[in-house]
Amino acid sequence: MKRAVLFALGLLAASVPARAQIELSGSYVPILYEDYIERGPGSDLGDFTGMPLTDEGRAKALLYTSNLPSTIERQCLAQAPWVLQYRPLGLRIWSEVDKDDRVSAWKIEGDYLRDTLTIWMDGRPEPSPNALSTAAGFSTGKWEGDTLTVHTTHVKTTWIRRGNGIPASDQTTYWVHLTRHDDLLTVVTIQEDPFYLSEPHVVSRVFKFDARANQGGRSICNTANEIPRLEDSGIVPHYLPGQNPEADFMTRTYNLPKEAALGYAESLYPEYRHKLKSVYTPPASCGRYCCGWIERQGLPGAAPGLSCNDGGLGELNPVVRSKQGDGEGKPAAPGKK
Amino acid sequence: MALMLVAALGLNVLAQGRGAPPAGRAGGPPSARATAPFDPTGYWVAIISEDWRWRMVTPAKGDVVSIPLSAEGLRVAEAWDPAKDEAAGEQCRAYGAPGLMRGPIRLHITWQDDNTLKIESDYGQQTRLLRFTGAGGAGGAAEVGRASGAKTWQGVTSAQWVMAAGGGRGRGGARRGSIKSVTTQMRPGYLRKNGVPYSDRAVFTEYWDLHSETNGDQYLVDTNVVDDPVYLQTPWITSLHFKKEMDGSKWDPSTCDARF
Repeated sequence: MKRAVLFALGLLAASVPARAQIELSGSYVPILYEDYIERGPGSDLGDFTGMPLTDEGRAKALLYTSNLPSTIERQCLAQAPWVLQYRPLGLRIWSEVDKDDRVSAWKIEGDYLRDTLTIWMDGRPEPSPNALSTAAGFSTGKWEGDTLTVHTTHVKTTWIRRGNGIPASDQTTYWVHLTRHDDLLTVVTIQEDPFYLSEPHVVSRVFKFDARANQGGRSICNTANEIPRLEDSGIVPHYLPGQNPEADFMTRTYNLPKEAALGYAESLYPEYRHKLKSVYTPPASCGRYCCGWIERQGLPGAAPGLSCNDGGLGELNPVVRSKQGDGEGKPAAPGKK
Repeated sequence: MALMLVAALGLNVLAQGRGAPPAGRAGGPPSARATAPFDPTGYWVAIISEDWRWRMVTPAKGDVVSIPLSAEGLRVAEAWDPAKDEAAGEQCRAYGAPGLMRGPIRLHITWQDDNTLKIESDYGQQTRLLRFTGAGGAGGAAEVGRASGAKTWQGVTSAQWVMAAGGGRGRGGARRGSIKSVTTQMRPGYLRKNGVPYSDRAVFTEYWDLHSETNGDQYLVDTNVVDDPVYLQTPWITSLHFKKEMDGSKWDPSTCDARF
């Protein structure tokens, strides 16, 4: 009887899923319903809201000009492995198995500015602190219930967030939680950086399963001479400390106190509103990206009777440009309405 | 004999995997509190690291970026008038469940009873009740709502534990799972402080997960979906994260404010 019970318990243990708790494989669409400006057209320069930067991180970010990544040698620099939280591209995830059919790694396909991520599930130890840092870093994973928890180390110095120079050092580490609920995949990244962050930087994003598998697909980054005057000049575009004209962009544009936009950790918490209340008034009207997801005025499908002002962005649309240009689809001359 | 044991125990595991907890000693289902795979109680603070300009302060009228509004939704947003809301006594329009959770808030979560999770906010001093239904819960929340008939800022929320695979207990590990909650019967309100609307037909679905870090930090992550056939083109899907605090020393009650 005792042996039978032990045998039964053994069989039972074998019947409990001990490998992947949830299937993650597939393609996922990024849902850009948070931080759309950053993840769509790109961050405003000088917008460090939501960041817990150290003084050093802030100073480095303020040296940045958007001409910098236009230099030939920086156009294809790999970005942080978890920069997928800030970009408008989809994901493709798959697993790799060992000879015993156990998942040995999860892979998240890269894109033209991000290396493919490998999340080792085979229990291998972390490399020495002196081991090579790579664009993808070194990641291990483990299941915590239906959540895949990942630890990433050995990354390169990169920019994080999107398009405004917020730095991440090669001492950056990430804890990441990937949780799937029905067809939604929530990715939580907790980034720590002893140089540029004063506390962990936490971001959560949602991606949606795409049954048509249209997401992902690694493309090639090509370089081109984007700014002729910089070609072979040896110039490294930058602003000197204290001379970045965009340091007060958020004040000029959105009435925010300068300090509120420059990434101080205290600004991330509700009590910071006590400081804001006496100094902030909303802008009189919305001046940029104001039509939301409605078709821009002048385009097919535009809703009549709305006064939204998209700050001229609609004019960048090829349909509008062809209407305003020479009738042959060429863009209108600058300033021409 | 052994096979019978396997069959009996195995079925129990599978049942747990579908969200049904084991039967209680008295024969009835154990409570939601008793079967909780994680402890959501305590004080939690929203970390405003995303959409800062739209969550920490009131943006300009008409600033609806990121939200998939319908044309009608945009018309209503463009007509926002906080003075009108104040005159109508509707200062709490931005404090209904979908707007409240994106606000700059602290949450105090407690068990009101064995099957009801109470979520209080200092911001606007609102109270949400997550009534666990089905296994481990009392009567259905929708039933409660139908009985009362009244629509409120926080609506009526039904909730359930969704256990992780294997009954929420990994090999030798702790019991794990998440909460799924669905809120209906809300008064029309704002998704954003500047009058971006949702209608009384909106449905607010949330998936709550707890992540415990090696340094002791705990994060409560609320992945949520707002479905509104009136003012949205497609469901508005976002996630929110809250960090656990040691105590309520930073609790800072404020009343509803239609402007800031």
